Amino acid sequence: MPLIECENLVKQFDGKPVLRGIDLVLNEGQVKVIMGPSGCGKSTLLRCLNLLDPPTSGRILFRGEDITRPGVDVRRLRQSIGFVFQHFALYRHLTVQENVTLGLRKIRKMGSRMAREKAVCELERVGMYEHRDKYPAQLSGGQKQRAAIVRALAMDPAVLFLDEPTSSLDPEMSREVVSVINKLFLDNVTMFCVTHDAFLAKYISDSVVFLDGGAVLAEDVAERLFYDHPDPRIRQFFLGVIDMR
Amino acid sequence: MNVLIHDLIAYAPQILAGLENTLLLAAIVSLTGFCGGIVVFSLTLSRSRLCRSITEGYISFFIGTPLLVHLFLMYYGLPELGLRISPLAAAAVGFTLNISAYNARHLMTAYRGLDRMELEAARAAGFTEPETFRLIVLPQALRLAVPALTNQATQNLKDTSVAFLIQYKEFFSQVQEVAATNFEFFRAYLFTGLVYLALVALIVVAARRLERRIALPGFSA
Repeated sequence: MPLIECENLVKQFDGKPVLRGIDLVLNEGQVKVIMGPSGCGKSTLLRCLNLLDPPTSGRILFRGEDITRPGVDVRRLRQSIGFVFQHFALYRHLTVQENVTLGLRKIRKMGSRMAREKAVCELERVGMYEHRDKYPAQLSGGQKQRAAIVRALAMDPAVLFLDEPTSSLDPEMSREVVSVINKLFLDNVTMFCVTHDAFLAKYISDSVVFLDGGAVLAEDVAERLFYDHPDPRIRQFFLGVIDMR
Repeated sequence: MNVLIHDLIAYAPQILAGLENTLLLAAIVSLTGFCGGIVVFSLTLSRSRLCRSITEGYISFFIGTPLLVHLFLMYYGLPELGLRISPLAAAAVGFTLNISAYNARHLMTAYRGLDRMELEAARAAGFTEPETFRLIVLPQALRLAVPALTNQATQNLKDTSVAFLIQYKEFFSQVQEVAATNFEFFRAYLFTGLVYLALVALIVVAARRLERRIALPGFSA
């Protein structure tokens, strides 16, 4: 069953088109990775899908409900979408555990004790329990990103959006995060992931969407898209990405 | 010197009452100015352009004009509009309006040091704007602004000495009255200065302790 469908999605900034009529479907339990050159609109697409940047035109259906129509409860929608940012965006005045419990207490209206228990359970899931009392400044990049993933996951979102989760990490830390995301993939967590990282894309995706110039050029399983695609533009792009690794 | 000491002892009740008035006014306006500063700061982040413009105008007016003007407006100006208030009330209102503007400016400066992505993350998580302000923006801005806010508190204490110009019987005016009886102006003013210095030192010590207590890894003002 489709969780998110977007139809002819267009986004312009000051009249300049960034997304040019995107059609995409994400089913429950599916992991879709969006790849493409810098500036092709990958992150903008994610931001449009949870209305951080409202689309200029087109429709987005979330569980069949058009969320682009006026009067939609944006706050409720965002509570169903976990968002993980490239630069972690942890609240730096709060410990790891407080980062996780804040949303549970204030948005999910959970009691402090229940929120703490839930946070501990989620932190254990990604091996961050021992770091629960640390502040973001005391964590490595990989730990920060794992904490950010836990913060999003603890809210039990219907889907997890990951915006370049490994881009600002060195290879070792990147592997830490890839293994966590891979675990979520195996647990059937629905995800939309924007990345430049072919390694990540290969290990966590059901399919990869290739975006270029704000339009979907191709969508296929990673293996076929990376190594065996008839479109020379796509072959050239992935040759570069995979060679670099 | 002996004359001054003799007179200080003789007038001790009057001087102590003045000191009490100074501390009372400084405490009131530091508290109200702190709260007012938070309110004004929150208005500078309003989505409404009109609200932001009015707030910016308020801050510019109260920072750009002398404190004495604000006090005179309250004590001598308001009666013309049919509103007569006591020297303490006039001083409290005038100071609060002035200090709120300064504190809002300190918080705005601290706000510029915040990571915008954290605010974006709060928005993406479904926090409302008031929640984001209360839970993310304010705790961080206050931490970053502690040195500026505590400097403001010492400034508030020293500034209370101008309140005697609107008939408020604070410490400085009481010592001045004593000096007017014995003509020991130099020693009297020196004594006043030393008392203010001691009070400021107490605030500074308390401020440093507060800074240490709320210090967090990754936070430095």
